[in-house]
Amino acid sequence: MPDPSTAEPSTAQARTAEARATAATAPRSLAEALRARDDVALAALLHARPDLLTPVPGDVTQLATRAGTRASVVRALDRLDRFALQTAEALAVAPDPCPYPVLESLLAGDTGSSGEDNGARAALPRALGTLRDQALVWGDDDRLRLVRTARELLSPSPARPSPTGLGPTVAEATSGMSPTRVQEIVATAGLPATHDPVSAVSALTALFTDPERMSALLDQAPAEAHQVLGRLVWGPPYGEVTPDPTPPVRWLRDRGLLLPASARTVVLPREVALYLRGGLAHRVTEPVAPPVRLHREHRPQLVDANAAGQALAALSTVEELVKSWEHTGPPVLRAGGLSVRDLKRTAATLDTTEQSAAFWAELAYAAGLVAGDAEADERYAPTPAFDGWLELPPAERWSALVRAWLPATRTAGLVGEQDSKGRTLSALGPELDRSAAAEVRHRVLGLLAELPEGGSPEPDALLARLAWERPPRGTSDLRARLARWTLTEAEVLGVTGRGALSAFGRALLEGRDPAPVLAPQLPEPVDHVLLQADLTAVAPGPLRRPLGDTLAVLAEVESKGGATVYRFTPGSVRRALDAGHTAVDLHAFLAEHSRTPVPQPLSYLIDDVARRHGHLRVGAASSYLRCDDDGMLNEILADKRSAGLGLRRLAPTVLAAQAEPGALLDGLRAMGYAPAAESRTGDVLVARADAHRSPARSAPAPVPDGPPVPDATLLGAAVRAIRAGDLAATAVRKDPAATPSGGSGPGDLPRTSAAETLATVQAAALTGSAVWIGYVNAEGAASQRVIAPVRVEGGFVTGYDHTADEVRTFALHRITGVAELAEDQV
Amino acid sequence: MNGPLIVQSDKTLLLEVDHELAGAARRAIAPFAELERAPEHIHTYRITPLGLWNARAAGHDAEQVVDALVEFSRYPVPHALLVDVAETMARYGRLTLSKHPVHGLVLTSTDRPVLEEILRSKRITPLVGARLDPDTVAVHPSERGQIKQTLLKLGWPAEDLAGYVDGEAHAIDLVEDGWALRPYQQQAVEGFWHGGSGVVVLPCGAGKTLVGAGAMAMAKATTLILVTNTVSARQWKHELVKRTSLTEEEIGEYSGTRKEIRPVTIATYQVLTTKRKGVYPHLELFDSRDWGLILYDEVHLLPAPVFKFTADLQARRRLGLTATLVREDGRESDVFSLIGPKRFDAPWKEIEAQGYIAPADCVEVRVNLTDSERLAYATAETEEKYRYCATTATKRKVTEALVRKHRGEQTLVIGQYIDQLDELGEHLDAPVIKGETSNAQREKLFNAFREGEISVLVVSKVANFSIDLPEATVAIQVSGTFGSRQEEAQRLGRVLRPKADGHEARFYSVVARDTIDQDFAAHRQRFLAEQGYAYRIMDADELLASD
Repeated sequence: MPDPSTAEPSTAQARTAEARATAATAPRSLAEALRARDDVALAALLHARPDLLTPVPGDVTQLATRAGTRASVVRALDRLDRFALQTAEALAVAPDPCPYPVLESLLAGDTGSSGEDNGARAALPRALGTLRDQALVWGDDDRLRLVRTARELLSPSPARPSPTGLGPTVAEATSGMSPTRVQEIVATAGLPATHDPVSAVSALTALFTDPERMSALLDQAPAEAHQVLGRLVWGPPYGEVTPDPTPPVRWLRDRGLLLPASARTVVLPREVALYLRGGLAHRVTEPVAPPVRLHREHRPQLVDANAAGQALAALSTVEELVKSWEHTGPPVLRAGGLSVRDLKRTAATLDTTEQSAAFWAELAYAAGLVAGDAEADERYAPTPAFDGWLELPPAERWSALVRAWLPATRTAGLVGEQDSKGRTLSALGPELDRSAAAEVRHRVLGLLAELPEGGSPEPDALLARLAWERPPRGTSDLRARLARWTLTEAEVLGVTGRGALSAFGRALLEGRDPAPVLAPQLPEPVDHVLLQADLTAVAPGPLRRPLGDTLAVLAEVESKGGATVYRFTPGSVRRALDAGHTAVDLHAFLAEHSRTPVPQPLSYLIDDVARRHGHLRVGAASSYLRCDDDGMLNEILADKRSAGLGLRRLAPTVLAAQAEPGALLDGLRAMGYAPAAESRTGDVLVARADAHRSPARSAPAPVPDGPPVPDATLLGAAVRAIRAGDLAATAVRKDPAATPSGGSGPGDLPRTSAAETLATVQAAALTGSAVWIGYVNAEGAASQRVIAPVRVEGGFVTGYDHTADEVRTFALHRITGVAELAEDQV
Repeated sequence: MNGPLIVQSDKTLLLEVDHELAGAARRAIAPFAELERAPEHIHTYRITPLGLWNARAAGHDAEQVVDALVEFSRYPVPHALLVDVAETMARYGRLTLSKHPVHGLVLTSTDRPVLEEILRSKRITPLVGARLDPDTVAVHPSERGQIKQTLLKLGWPAEDLAGYVDGEAHAIDLVEDGWALRPYQQQAVEGFWHGGSGVVVLPCGAGKTLVGAGAMAMAKATTLILVTNTVSARQWKHELVKRTSLTEEEIGEYSGTRKEIRPVTIATYQVLTTKRKGVYPHLELFDSRDWGLILYDEVHLLPAPVFKFTADLQARRRLGLTATLVREDGRESDVFSLIGPKRFDAPWKEIEAQGYIAPADCVEVRVNLTDSERLAYATAETEEKYRYCATTATKRKVTEALVRKHRGEQTLVIGQYIDQLDELGEHLDAPVIKGETSNAQREKLFNAFREGEISVLVVSKVANFSIDLPEATVAIQVSGTFGSRQEEAQRLGRVLRPKADGHEARFYSVVARDTIDQDFAAHRQRFLAEQGYAYRIMDADELLASD
């Protein structure tokens, strides 16, 4: 960017020389400026812009580089108050570097041009100091320099108009123009002609920045031209023109008071606008923070009392909410959070709006009193911390809540709205965190703390102040909404009372423990109630815990607030009896805690309910045993063998049993009784085997009991078999191997070698003669048989077994030995 | 901070009556809070929109209400409640009904969006005429009541500044010879007259008739008095002749039997609501004279059609008299919008303490049913159950024992079921008054009872309405209209009139134990207990044993 400085070149050179001469004092870059700062100032910078610290920069050059990055600069600019930002904006449209007086006149107007001074002059050093502290501006007062990134962000461009409403400088606007056109303008404006475009432009600039000559020039302008200028002076500086502009526009254009920006638009050069504005960069500067006006001033005692009342109400609301989730809490939505229906239900329980129910739920969540139970079917449930919290004294319970509330970033106010994807934001759900929430909350309370004690602010003034401190960007009014929510929430929590910060709210803000401040403000718990004949009890203040809990069982809570109204009903008295109290206990309890005599109808009610309580008894049994003869039942009960049946006497003639009817029947039968089963209507049940069916099966073969009459063949065979058996038993065998040492007696198994066995058997098969074999079956049992081999193959011998009287197959390897029968025996 | 008042978050106010500032607190909150319960130690008031608008109508503003709450409250008043009070009260008076010299009745708004909102309501559209200017719309004069009623339902009650017609003048004066209006009656009359129209709530026996007479003497105009039945009409006539300058001839009776229209006419609700061929032939009574005052006796019983007629009578002064604003049908808001806001209210106990009504000892006698009765009860059809348990023979015996116990005292036996009453009458040897008893016979019996010629009278629910039995000291109720609270109040009222000898009145309810009878009794008694009349509960066996 060409230096648009209005300073004379010679002065500029002189300054540069001077700067060189005093290099130690006049820094040439941000890094040098930072290097020259002391440690305190550097620490202040890092405090104000903590993003520069991550990671810790290696040296000052690195720090300066990082401080000049776009993201960091945007962040820093976002956090400027309105006047500091306006100062930065003014610097962005000022020459670079910019001497202090130039900046001052941009913000406060030309000296003497307008008498009124809204304090900009006085406030400028502070604003400039802020910018310097934040390393957005560096350099001495005569050479103020805005960090380049900031200048780029804030200086006007056609795409992004500046909040100042100023357009480009003459030099910028004429940069693309033909030299001839510039010459024409210079000529029309009444300046001496020059052929050098650069000097032509600076001549034009010099004209526009010279008030006297400008005034003379504009005096000649037609009236309509003034109107045109008036429309553009405070921005936006661009105006559309037709290809054939009206005479006033043409008059202005010819003199360079309007410069073409594109084919159809003209722009008011910055110098002209500044002249017309009396040098002001902004139409309205707000050098001083708008004061937070007082709405009302209450007595501090009243504020504290009100806030304490509210604090107590907040405690009971949270307790009620969490306790209502104690048994079956609301399920956690798959995406997290409470369903709308559950929120409605909770709101109904608390007798409040859904918006406020969401706040209480979020508060309990933030304080760690409720959470998802992490079961498969996840539900919200009180945390173990809730039990600990309940045990605390009220002031400490409150302290725990508000200390969770103040720094929380979750914002209940958003519940029910939709996120950018159109999904409804649910209470306790995701996407509710707003990082600004904690800061806004702190700031709102901080502003309240600056008011005189007991003062409540005008909410609009408070919001205006917040907007000044952090001007909203774009259309988002999140901070304003956060501030409004903070005011409401602080009130319902009792951090404020009647809109003014309470003493314990102040303690909270200052980081002290608010509990000791709050405790004396809370009503002393009472230990008595007033009983009345309409069956109500009134506790004229918060009850001591065990008393309140017992009473809540014994009576229904009818009305809550500073006092509690309980109503006794038959149902509530019964509940107390169910919980193990006796009528005597209850009478004593009431007499002890009532300031007034117990009304007769109430005593009567308790006795009347107690009279009927437990009159009917219900239990579970699996079966029963009844008998008209109670003596027999006595006998059974006395019998040790009946112990496993779980018998219990209900009436002289009835026993209940834990055993199933079948088991009871079996048990009694085992004990020698003859019980009969009874049907549901009391008839004797005829016992039948269970008519259980198998899967489909084929019928078994018949098993005849006696042998069939044998036919002749069979008989013949039988005889033969007998004979054969006989033969086998008595056979005189030829000694196969003629081993005299064989010594085998008639009962011994024959032993031959395998080859011999095979040969013998084969021979027998050929001859059809019978042989005597020793055989060991698959089970290892040895036997002797006489067989007539028919075939020998594959290691098996098939032959007629005389012993079994049938054709059998024998494995050769199982044959221990073989012997031919003596000729005469077959 | 140790005031007598505790402000609850559900908008009830608990007033500790024994507190030294209780009286001042009561006076401060009475204009805007409804006394809901007045048992012995802590009275409960409730802040309702209706009550707040009542207060606005009576000229109180939100600041006063808030100050009263904050000043007397023991604990800090919930901020939300104060905001709500201010907002609710601000709704009243944004719309006003007034008389325009040219356009007649007009509805004007000080808040244009409100007018736009209500004009968009379908229920309002048929009631209004042309839009006269952005803030004013004409209203059909005949719809004055209707539009007030509808606006109230929409939550934007209109202030009625259209005024009243004076009606035909007629000289009426109180003749205070040897008696005078009691202070609270005087206050009630003044409260009403100052407000123009409205309702006076006084306990039974506190002399509501005299408040009516006082109002008539203020109005000095022809008066239409609407009462519940003929006996009550006669009593009004009797009382008016006795207490005012009116003569017999000036008072007409408009009932089933007589149709007289005189400067002061007493009509029964029954005759007005008689319908023939789909029309109410006696409706013209309202137009037959230029009435200057319309009196509604027992406003809590006002039948629905009378509401409808009343809607058309908004230009006339209206005074409602009742012992309780509790209506079993929940139409309290109609009473507010059509007759007017509550102008005077005094707790029973307070008037009792001043000695104007008799103290009463209320006893519930629990009767054990016999086994066979219990079995019969258990098997009875649901709709027959109450009738069965309320009329068991055991109850009759206990009732007889009670009557014996109070022999010589003027005793009323009150019941619902005619068979039961007939039977009781027979056993007690007492005359029975029921619906079919002729008016002549009734009056004869009442007189005899008054004179002490007979000491026991068995009455059906005709006793629920204004009969005057000054000397009844014992009332025994054996059955009732289920759980009706206002019936209970009326019945108790029978014995609350001050006794000549200062004798304490006794009110017995005979109730069958462990039955629906007991449940209904509990519901009825709760109302009385809330009025400060606590019941003792007694076992019938004890009673019989001591007999």
